Amino acid sequence: MDPIPPFDAELLRRYDRPGPRYTSYPTAPQFTADFDEALLRDYIGRSNADPIPRQLSLYLHIPYCFSPCFYCGCNRIITRDPSRGRTYVERLVREVAAMGGLFDRDRDVVQLHLGGGTPNFLRPPELRELMDSLRRHFCLNTAGERDFSMELDPRFIEAGDVAAYAEFGFNRASLGVQDFDVEVQRAVNRIQSVEQTLRVIDDCRDQGFRSINVDLIYGLPKQSAAGFSRTLDQVLAVRPDRLAVYGYAHLPAMFKAQGQIEAQDLPSAEAKLGLLQLAIEKLSAAGYQYIGMDHFALPEDDLARAQQAGNLQRNFMGYTNHADCDLVGLGVSAISHIGDSFSQNPRDLPGWQAALDQGRLPVWRGRRLAADDLLREDVIQQLMCLGTVHIAAIERRHDIDFQDYFQDDLQRLLPLVADGLVTVDAQRITATSRGRLLLRIIAMCFDRYLHQSSTDAIPPRFSRVI
Amino acid sequence: MKDAISRRAHNPIADDGDELHFCSTCAFSAACLESGYGKSQLRELHVLVEHVGPFEEGEHLFREGNPFNAIAAVRAGTVKTYVTDTEGREQVQGFFLPGEVIGLNAISQARYPCNAVALDSVELCRFSFTNISALATRMPGLQLQLFRLLSLDIGKATLLAGNYSADERMAAFLVSLSRRYVRHGFPANRFRLSMSRTDIANYLRLASETVSRVFRRFQDEGLIRVERRDLELLDPPALQMLARNVLRK
Repeated sequence: MDPIPPFDAELLRRYDRPGPRYTSYPTAPQFTADFDEALLRDYIGRSNADPIPRQLSLYLHIPYCFSPCFYCGCNRIITRDPSRGRTYVERLVREVAAMGGLFDRDRDVVQLHLGGGTPNFLRPPELRELMDSLRRHFCLNTAGERDFSMELDPRFIEAGDVAAYAEFGFNRASLGVQDFDVEVQRAVNRIQSVEQTLRVIDDCRDQGFRSINVDLIYGLPKQSAAGFSRTLDQVLAVRPDRLAVYGYAHLPAMFKAQGQIEAQDLPSAEAKLGLLQLAIEKLSAAGYQYIGMDHFALPEDDLARAQQAGNLQRNFMGYTNHADCDLVGLGVSAISHIGDSFSQNPRDLPGWQAALDQGRLPVWRGRRLAADDLLREDVIQQLMCLGTVHIAAIERRHDIDFQDYFQDDLQRLLPLVADGLVTVDAQRITATSRGRLLLRIIAMCFDRYLHQSSTDAIPPRFSRVI
Repeated sequence: MKDAISRRAHNPIADDGDELHFCSTCAFSAACLESGYGKSQLRELHVLVEHVGPFEEGEHLFREGNPFNAIAAVRAGTVKTYVTDTEGREQVQGFFLPGEVIGLNAISQARYPCNAVALDSVELCRFSFTNISALATRMPGLQLQLFRLLSLDIGKATLLAGNYSADERMAAFLVSLSRRYVRHGFPANRFRLSMSRTDIANYLRLASETVSRVFRRFQDEGLIRVERRDLELLDPPALQMLARNVLRK
């Protein structure tokens, strides 16, 4: 699915309703507290026993931020006290050691991602300690194809920092920009100049980083078409390899910081769609390829290539070309996906710390995946990553009769077929070019847990799809 | 398109026998039928066979030193036999698939000389050794079959004693599994490996990293396809060629 899909305002408006982002299936609300440390150890042991054990992908969560961006819905802690970074790393390296010891030494780490919060809240000495410990307890791949990435807040990058990241092995960066419009930046409490952003991008390129991603957000308070258009031009001028254009989800009841945003400053639904349309047109004209959801990439980027080759995958870090890795999440709130299981660390710092201080693995909740979960995970992955489900392949892999097994789900697809979002025949279910911006609406038809209750109401914990 | 082979947890089990019919994997049915004994005749001779299980993954069927009174045929699942040496290291002796008989190496000592553990959900068919030996005196076919099983069991142990490369050992292991599955009516080229790579490595006297490296290379060379524990042999002739020295007939 190469070009960026055409924009259809009427359709997008009609389907703008809450839904999961499917970075996992089943989604995190389905995790339960009966999944404990012993089970996690068991799943890791099994994963080591496979004839060809999977490679590893590590996610490390750094929860601290220097200042609150009002739009943020992430798990983070605001502080100006850098010593908190040090005490956090002290515990994190203990978790690294404990988890690393459970995986066989020949399990290469081919992907590593530091997310947050603000990973560059940690200064280079702390990052070095963290990376040294990862190197001691895991087998970090050193080949050029490795993907070691870090989310960067350009406002807090000092001279020499990026060179240090490169020395530690990082070769990808993801920069938060959101919008360069100063009015918007004031309204969301994130003042960040074009110059400091571009300087970081230059630093990353000078250090030989393979890929740079830039995050933008549409639907922010005070955002205007003119301002966002200028931002897009400024960003596209440096041609980041990847771009994510997220829709802002205003859920002040769930995310306290969002309460600082004046509802009256938010663009209308019409204006919000206009901003998305603007982004799509500009990215399209600049030659970007649509990956799925909110993600775009240059055609020569690994993600775009993986999509063409059919081995794109989706996980908690978004889209990835590292198909079939076991995902190990470390740090507060981090999620692991090992074998046929999900598990999550405590979302609160004291809970996570207490577990490590008592010498336990910090497992808060998780889920063992049953055959039905694995089947639906496969279908939803295909939809979210490739925009199409190859029915015979699913039948072969899971030993089912698709039409029979998915009777109800196919029924739920019918209105979407009528609206021209998706086509269904005996071989394939395929998102049309109209439907590709609404992949999660299509995927939701196959989500068993959304349709379990007698009503069709979807719990409001998910953001709206646009 | 990701084109993986089935991930379903297939646990091969034979057609179940009943009062009148043998299970399709029965290690002795052919010999008995050849000698003119159907299952109902055996019942009359008080050769009682007893279906036991399921044993759960990790459960022991017997341990070294336990008194031996029955031999057992695997009806479903995979059984691993092993001993523990004086340093506490485990030495894997073999894997037993549906239709294969365990406990034959206990006959001489009246005690089991090894441990047997279920690698997945295992069901057994157990019968008294005394009774079946008595029956064998009346049925030459059955006696021959017992000798055949015993000699196969001895052969198995010496198979990998030679100076073979990792590739030869691995190919021989896969070809041997394939032949054994097909002998009992299961697909020849698609099966699930219930044993861990550590067990395979231990059995083949290789490092477990080597086992994975060879699996990966076989896959890259188009000989096999591996999806987690499911295995497909894509080029059996090439594997047989590699295995020929180990599996000399």
